[in-house]
Amino acid sequence: MTQDPRVEQFISSFQALRREVEKVIVGHRDIIDHVLIGMFAGGHVLLEGVPGLGKTLLIKTLAEGLELSFARVQFTPDLMPADIIGTNIIVEDADGRKHFQFQSGPIFAHILLADEINRATPKTQSALLEGMQEGAVTVGGVSRPLPPPFFVLATQNPIEMEGTYPLPEAQLDRFLFKLRVRYPAIEELNAIIDRTTQVRAVTVDRVMTGPNVLASRELVREVPIATHTRDFASAIVMATHPQWAQAPDVTRRFVRYGASPRGAQALVLGAKVKALAEGRYNVSVDDIRHLAAPALRHRVILNFEGEAEGIDVDTLIEQIVDTAATTTTQGKEQFVR
Amino acid sequence: MPHPDTLDRLVREIATQVRWRRAEHYGLRGLFWGAVAAVVPLLFRLALGPWALALAIALLTAGVVTGALFGLLKRVSPADAARLADREFGLDERLSTALEWAERDDRTQLVDALVVDAVARVEAVQLRQVVRRILPRETRLLPVPVVLAAILAWAPPLPLPTASLPDFSAGAQKEEARERGDGTMLEDRARPLAKDKQQRPVFEERDWAQKGATGAAATAGDLSAVFKDTSLANQRPDFNSFLKKGDERLKMLEQTDRLPDLQSDFTSSQYKMVFRKSKELKSGLRDTVSPQKLKELLEEMERLGRKSGGGWGQDVSEGMEALEGGSTDRAMEAMQKALDKMRAQDEAQRGGKGLRGGRESDRRSGREGGRGEGSPEDQDFGEGEGMMPGKGKSGAPKGEASQRLRANPYDVGVEGESRRGKKDGFDTNLTGRAGKMSSRLSYMGIIGQYKNAMEDAISREQIPRDFHGQIRDYFQALDER
Repeated sequence: MTQDPRVEQFISSFQALRREVEKVIVGHRDIIDHVLIGMFAGGHVLLEGVPGLGKTLLIKTLAEGLELSFARVQFTPDLMPADIIGTNIIVEDADGRKHFQFQSGPIFAHILLADEINRATPKTQSALLEGMQEGAVTVGGVSRPLPPPFFVLATQNPIEMEGTYPLPEAQLDRFLFKLRVRYPAIEELNAIIDRTTQVRAVTVDRVMTGPNVLASRELVREVPIATHTRDFASAIVMATHPQWAQAPDVTRRFVRYGASPRGAQALVLGAKVKALAEGRYNVSVDDIRHLAAPALRHRVILNFEGEAEGIDVDTLIEQIVDTAATTTTQGKEQFVR
Repeated sequence: MPHPDTLDRLVREIATQVRWRRAEHYGLRGLFWGAVAAVVPLLFRLALGPWALALAIALLTAGVVTGALFGLLKRVSPADAARLADREFGLDERLSTALEWAERDDRTQLVDALVVDAVARVEAVQLRQVVRRILPRETRLLPVPVVLAAILAWAPPLPLPTASLPDFSAGAQKEEARERGDGTMLEDRARPLAKDKQQRPVFEERDWAQKGATGAAATAGDLSAVFKDTSLANQRPDFNSFLKKGDERLKMLEQTDRLPDLQSDFTSSQYKMVFRKSKELKSGLRDTVSPQKLKELLEEMERLGRKSGGGWGQDVSEGMEALEGGSTDRAMEAMQKALDKMRAQDEAQRGGKGLRGGRESDRRSGREGGRGEGSPEDQDFGEGEGMMPGKGKSGAPKGEASQRLRANPYDVGVEGESRRGKKDGFDTNLTGRAGKMSSRLSYMGIIGQYKNAMEDAISREQIPRDFHGQIRDYFQALDER
């Protein structure tokens, strides 16, 4: 039972949005939750999975549940940055005078679906960098702000697939979460078949507006976090750095680069959203632990040995979290030594 | 917003639990170290008397009390206690966050809601023991000092160790008694004095042991048992006299250098020994000859010359003078001359008891004829040096070259015939030109001569006794062939 009406509003909106998405998407509850958490935390989300798992459908459905503008860009190798951002074109006015006019690209939408983002060249991929971080794009020397709330949802195929360009680290770092879309279970698959092969019209209701989303983002930042919980998040991020003095052995052995401070921000912000969505007014250690993998898996770069050994980043992060828990929060509770 | 009492009360409760666990933990540690310390006075119970037990108990108690007090008084952080309560009662950090944020200036409305929520959840908590008991490492070893202390407390007091090694001899005890007798205590003066001052008191115990050895079995301290297998066993095992007179066996062991050198004295001639030493003198990595060793060799040669009446004394004297003058080369030349003379004498002596028809006689005859022919073994001793054409170190003129057989291999042959009889044999003779040479010998005749020489050598005890049987077997095998 909550006391703050804003929190009640947030929880109801969160749950309503989840419900709308689940009308279309079967299963993938954790993916839906993480996408919503990313959106309310004010970040961008990258979904990775082989084709046909419903990544694009999930984002389209989410956009339909929000009263926000939506644009979709199918990334291909011949896609140019101007195709995303927009460009100045020469137009002729009624007086016959010609001048440049900015033709905005699809990035000027509230929700941008960058489908198969790793099929475009790194040059085009980088066109999103400024918009994702600054909320504005610069064209012809003129900075143009993007409409808030701006939310990029990108999908990518695993980099092992043909015709893909791995996203650069700087680009990856700008995504709050990287979510791995797995294959559905057999029950989920049966439900998918039933839903998509029968005559059945599914309508998604709009349950949130742009201002609601922005207000929720503000509310999220008010959620208090205890010092030791914050320290736990910091310790996790620091433990991904092989150069750190207290880094665990797995990090020293398999990691080339650790997570940036954006990783810690993503952890804490995501944990705040999760706490609020669960009706709590504070962040718990479990929130941090739960979001460690989505927030850090694309920020931890394995070294050659890690790649050669086929180390799973999620498993690695799990071990790092356990180590950090031992050395920080639980370690301090060993009263008798 | 101040801390609600509910939250504070829970934190205090957890802190109390922590203190008691700490008291247990440190009390056990104190018990261990107190027990270790308690062992010490119990070890010295003889000196401390009844105070030892009291001191041990006091140390044990002090260890436990000190440890427990330390644990109780050690500060417990409220934040740590709150965090432990959060985890153990499933509060999801509500308690610790509420306590931390309630007094902050930048708290928001959500914090107020959080405190209310935390209080509601804490009131629903069923209090229980949440602090785990952590036994110290010393607990595993705790039985050792405790049991040891208990044993020491029940057992009779241990004797105090002395600064010096114990002297169990009766003489020492009497000496101590005498020293005590020099004091003023009357009862000590009443003790009987030593019966016989002339008797060495050190061996009084052995006297007693000796008596025991004659009749009953040897008892502990029966040192004479060591000498049971010797003729000294029946005598008084007086160690001083033993050392004074000496045990024959020990004498033998001490004089190993005087044991007969069978190899040098009985199987080698004086010349060969000196020649070997001269070779050793000149061998080695350095070109220079040690003057000290050269001097020793010359002195030995001089001694041998005096002993055997050899005529190399003059040469040795010259060598000594040259050596004193610092001329090693001249000393070496003089030694070489003396060595040649020694060799000549040795060969002359061996000629008298040599075997007829042997290589020595052949060589001697060849040498007399201006020729020399030495086997490789003989050359090792320098006997052919200076005589064989193309060999030797002496600058003296060589004799004529040996007459060589022509290259026709058919000039040399061997013929033989089997001999029947009690023992089968085979007589061989060289044929061709070689047959006319003096090396032609009859096998059986030679074997017989060698056998006679062998028996002669054995009878003159020139052969060690242990080798007699082996040598006879060898000649027996030759005879049967």
